[in-house]
Amino acid sequence: MTSPRTVSRLARILALIPYVLSKDSVDVDEILDRFGYTEADLSKDLNTLFVCGLPGYGPGDLMEAYIDESEVIIDAADYFARAPRLTSTEALGLLAAGMAIIGSGQANPTLAGAVDKLTKVVLPDAEGAISVEVAGEMASVGQLREAARQQLAVHITYRSLSREEETVRVIEPWAVFATLGNWYVQAYCRMVEGERVFRVDRIRSMEVTESRFERPKGIPEPGVSYSPSDDDIVCRLGLSPSARWVLDYYPVEVIRESKKETVISFSSPDAQIPSRLLLRLGSAARFISGDEVRATVAEIGKRLLAIYR
Amino acid sequence: MQNVIERVINLLIYLLESPVPVTADNVRFTVAGYGDQTDDAFHRMFERDKEVLRRLGIPLERQALDGFEVDFGYRVDPEKYALPDPGLTEEERFALSVAARMVRLGGGNAGLEGLNKLGGVERGVGLEPLGADLGAESEILGDLFRAVTERRQIRFRYKDEDRSFKPYGLAHRRGHWYLAGDGPDGPRVFRIDRMDALEVGDEAGAFARPAGFDIRATMISQPWDLGSEPKLVAKVRFDPEVAWWAARTLGVAAADGKALEVELPVSNADAFVGWILSFGASAEVLSPDEMRTEIRARVQAAVAGVK
Repeated sequence: MTSPRTVSRLARILALIPYVLSKDSVDVDEILDRFGYTEADLSKDLNTLFVCGLPGYGPGDLMEAYIDESEVIIDAADYFARAPRLTSTEALGLLAAGMAIIGSGQANPTLAGAVDKLTKVVLPDAEGAISVEVAGEMASVGQLREAARQQLAVHITYRSLSREEETVRVIEPWAVFATLGNWYVQAYCRMVEGERVFRVDRIRSMEVTESRFERPKGIPEPGVSYSPSDDDIVCRLGLSPSARWVLDYYPVEVIRESKKETVISFSSPDAQIPSRLLLRLGSAARFISGDEVRATVAEIGKRLLAIYR
Repeated sequence: MQNVIERVINLLIYLLESPVPVTADNVRFTVAGYGDQTDDAFHRMFERDKEVLRRLGIPLERQALDGFEVDFGYRVDPEKYALPDPGLTEEERFALSVAARMVRLGGGNAGLEGLNKLGGVERGVGLEPLGADLGAESEILGDLFRAVTERRQIRFRYKDEDRSFKPYGLAHRRGHWYLAGDGPDGPRVFRIDRMDALEVGDEAGAFARPAGFDIRATMISQPWDLGSEPKLVAKVRFDPEVAWWAARTLGVAAADGKALEVELPVSNADAFVGWILSFGASAEVLSPDEMRTEIRARVQAAVAGVK
């Protein structure tokens, strides 16, 4: 199998040629910046083109491709006068990215115009066939993004996802991102003196302070996919076929599987999440073990049964 | 790698310039880079290079050269090869590049690579502190996008059932991609991450999309709406400490520090009850009674299970 790097390199070459052909003169620096080339890679690609062309491969059949002083020259390559069409993944990648940003309340008319033009080319008869909404539009996403950009600490009232409690804290927002349909802010939390990820819709109120912070270099990619730790509580549950969707939604470990029941191990930072899941599933799940979950289900269950008499 | 690049470029030029379809033998004895190979080595090389063209998105056509389908010829139609110019301005390209840098489809940044074909974009912008991952296996998503745009019939497995389907559109909602279209059971919406064994049909333009189709109309905002017409209206009360959050999720107004009472149309009662119970004892369904009975039964079953 040919490596993805070779394919990427070819894709860039086929995009580069029509761009250079369409201009009267193009500066090397512009090409380096525009197509993300290093100078060495650009000369390598031009040298390759120099020996490619029409069958016969004589002097009159080959492309011209070289750097003249600070100018990129490509000629005798009419067959590549136009760029190849976008692959499905490229087209969808661009459209989805544009639509996601527009839908998140970060809209700007330029982006809307670009998405519109691109849609007409890629989906000439299918307007309305694609729609992307990342998560609900929220003013706080824009504010947090601005605070992250200016490196200003933010005072927040936060309702924890798993514990039923509200805390007031000051965070230093590093990055705002959306994944799995929700917006998150990755930040240093001055209260716990460590890095934390907060769900933006759980921030009840916020105020940008004047306190500046220094964003650390080389921030690790934010990750919200849950990875179990030693402090976790663990419980074991049996899922009937109608509750198998749980496997798609929670990071669980399958212990054994049969037609009738899937036995899973569920790790979570506290007992609330698996307990509420059990209450929701009712007779579609079987509790097997886990003392904290046992106690929490009994406790919430008692309060619920008092309500639903 | 150097050799592969040279050879593929020469092959592509030959295929674009040739007025008639060319055979594998034509390629072998005409295009630089294929000579001096054994039959076997040539065959493998040619297969690999065709695969590279396919991954580049280049429409390589294969046609029978005789009535017996013994000999096949290849060509690349320059009109199908070329990208129609959308006429983007430099500012519009830049806006797209910022968006593509912020939003990814799973691991890759195919959008950013695609932008090169649209003329590239001046980079050199700093870190953008906002990002989104529309997480999806982009392989199947790319294939579905092609099926939607080229109106190709598809087949796939969903919950252990094989289905054939006319794909009309794609939507991303709440962290998941959905495919909407029409099949033997009528219009449906499928979650893409649950689709399996996808096959895209050979025929382009195999069906007509209904006039004025708009996927936004088929995608509803809340999970418990997913499915069909609302079946019932539920009245719910949220305690003051969660009222603001419920209001935000539902897109309704709530007075700070007060409980919230709302009536909600529900088409998927099961999903709705699950959402209400995710609030623990801080939310209560006030009506209808059947839903209260259902919740009580579930809670009783769960409580009995931990005794």
